[in-house]
Amino acid sequence: MRNRRFMLVALAALVTAAALVAAAGQEQNAPANTAEPAQDWTPPRTPDGQPDLQGTWTNYTSTPFEVLDESDTPAFYSGDLDGTGKGTGPSSFSNDVSDRELTKMTSLVVDPSNGRVPIMPWAEERRNYKLEHVQDDWVNHTPWERCITRGVPGGLFPAGYGSGYQIMQSPGYVAIIYEMIHEARIIPLDGRPHIGSSIRLWNGDSRGHWEGNTLVVDITGYNDKGSVATNVATQRVRSIPQSEALHVVERFTRIDENTIDYEVVVDDPEVFTSPWTVAMPLHLEPDYRLFEYACHEGNHAVPNTLSAGRARDQAAQAAGPQ
Amino acid sequence: MQNWLKGAVIALVSAAATLGISQMMRGQEAPAPDTAVVRTADGKPDLNGIWQAVGSAHWNLQDHQARMGPVLELGAVLAVPAGLSVVEGNEIPYQPWAAARQRENYENWLSRDPEVKCYLPGLPRATYMPYPFQILQTANNDILMAYEYASASRIIHMGAVEPPPIDTWMGQSGGHWEGDTLVVDVTGFNDQTWFDRAGNFHSESLHIVERFTPVSPDVLDYQVTLEDSKVFTRPWKIQMPLYRRQDTGAQLLEFKCVEFVEELMYGDLRKKTGEETPFSAARLRWP
Repeated sequence: MRNRRFMLVALAALVTAAALVAAAGQEQNAPANTAEPAQDWTPPRTPDGQPDLQGTWTNYTSTPFEVLDESDTPAFYSGDLDGTGKGTGPSSFSNDVSDRELTKMTSLVVDPSNGRVPIMPWAEERRNYKLEHVQDDWVNHTPWERCITRGVPGGLFPAGYGSGYQIMQSPGYVAIIYEMIHEARIIPLDGRPHIGSSIRLWNGDSRGHWEGNTLVVDITGYNDKGSVATNVATQRVRSIPQSEALHVVERFTRIDENTIDYEVVVDDPEVFTSPWTVAMPLHLEPDYRLFEYACHEGNHAVPNTLSAGRARDQAAQAAGPQ
Repeated sequence: MQNWLKGAVIALVSAAATLGISQMMRGQEAPAPDTAVVRTADGKPDLNGIWQAVGSAHWNLQDHQARMGPVLELGAVLAVPAGLSVVEGNEIPYQPWAAARQRENYENWLSRDPEVKCYLPGLPRATYMPYPFQILQTANNDILMAYEYASASRIIHMGAVEPPPIDTWMGQSGGHWEGDTLVVDVTGFNDQTWFDRAGNFHSESLHIVERFTPVSPDVLDYQVTLEDSKVFTRPWKIQMPLYRRQDTGAQLLEFKCVEFVEELMYGDLRKKTGEETPFSAARLRWP
C-alpha cells in the first residue's frame, strides 16, 4: 500500500519533470485545452471500462479568470469597498502544492476570444446592489459566504484554499467530492433524463456520458438564487446571478497521468449575451488530503457582517437627521 | 512531538478497544449472508445504491411512545411517532453526570440539537436520519457515503489509515472487509454532534465500529458499537436494517438546509425595511 503510494509520487515527480522540460520552450498563451495529449499515453480504465479519472486533484492557478479592462474595479468586486485592495486580490499561485510550476496564461476565459465574460448590464447592476448591501441581508451574500454552495461550475473555479477534489467512479457513476464546503456531486452515466423542471437546484441536475476519453456532463434545472461564480478570484463575475435558464456543459479529459483538462461552456441567455467558455487544468495530487470544511458550523462572516450593519444603523440614528 | 505521542496513544487505545469490541461481538451471530448477495467484479458484496433507514430511531434510539410535536399549529403533522429501541437491551450506559446531561438536552431540544441549525450530523446519526444516502463503491478502494441531509458525506479509506490529524464533525472513517461485512472504524470526532433528537450525546472520545452486512440484495444489516469512556460506563450497541430505495430513477436531491435556518440564526440581525411579513407566530411547546 505505502510502497505503491511512494511509487506513484515518484512517478508523478518524473512525469512532471519531463513535462516541465518539454514546456520550457513553449509559447505560454495557448489555452490549456489545446495542449496536445502525449501520443503514447492512453488513460487507464476502471474495471467497468470507464476512462479512469480517480484520484485527488487540485486547481491552483497563476492565470487570472478574465482579461482585465481599464473600466474594471477589482477592489469593488472583491467586496473591499474602501478600495485598499489589501489581501483581497485574485488568487494567484506560481506553484502548486507539490511545488510544480504553473503555466500562466492570459485568462481562464478562452471564449469569447477577448477573454471577457459577456455579462448583461442588468446582471452587473444586480451584482453591484448585492455587493453594496451585504450588511442588510444574508441573501446579498454569495451562496459561498452563506455556506450553501460554490455552485456548478463555480465550485471548480480556483478559490485559493480548500482546493482539493477527489474523483471516485463506480459502475454507472462518477462522483466529485469538493473539499470546499463539502459537497459530493454524484453524476449518473446511465442516460436517464433530467429530473422534472419543477425541482430547481442550487447546483443543477447533472447527467454524464463518455465521448471517447472525455466525460461530458450536461447540467440544467438550476434555481435562480445561486451564482455561477462566488470567489474573489473570479473578479467581475463574482456574485453575478444565475437564472433558471442556465445550461452548463462540462468536459473532463485526462490528457496524461497528472492532468485533467477541464472545459466548461456556460450558457444563460437571461444573464449573458452569448455562451462563454472556461478552460483550465486540474492537477493530480496523490499526497493531498481533503479536510472537512465545516463551513456553516463556523460561519461568523455572515452574522458579523449583519451585526456591523445594524451597529452602523444605530450610530446613524443616534447622530440624528443629517 | 506531542501530536505524535497523542496519535500513538490514540492508535494503541483504538487497537485495544477494537480488539475488545470484536471479542465482545464475536458472541453474537451476524445474520447469515444470503447466497444471492450481489457482488462487484472483485467479489466483494456490492453495496452501491441509495439506502435509507425506516423507523423513528432519528427521534430517539430508545423505546419511545408517540407524543405531541413542538409546534402547536402543526398538530399531527410534526408529532413524534412511536418507536422500538434500536439499542441492544434498550439501556444507554451513561455515567451519572452524563445521564443528567442527556435529560437536560432532551428538555432543551430545540435550542441544543445541532440538527435544528442544519449542522453536520456526525455518525452514526447520518445513517438513520430520515433522508436517503448513497453508497458509491470503487473497485478495491475507497468507498463514498453521501448523505442528502446538508450535503454531508464521508470517504471511507480502505486499509490502514493514519491517526486523525484533527477532530471533525463527521470523524475519520477507515474500512475493511470481514467476509461479506464492511467494517468501518471511526474516530476523530468533535463533541458537537448528537445521536438523535432526544439529546443522546457523546464526547470527542467517541469511537464507533460500524458493520454493514448485506442480508439480501435490497437490505443491509447495520450494527454499530459505540464507546466513549468519558460518557459511558461500557461500550454499547445499536442495530437496524437499511433498505434500498427502489423508486424509479432514485437519486439524491438537494437538502441544503442552511437557507432554511438563516432566519432562525440571523433573523434578528437583518435590516428591517418595514415591509416584512411576520414570520410564523407558531407557538412552541417542548418538552
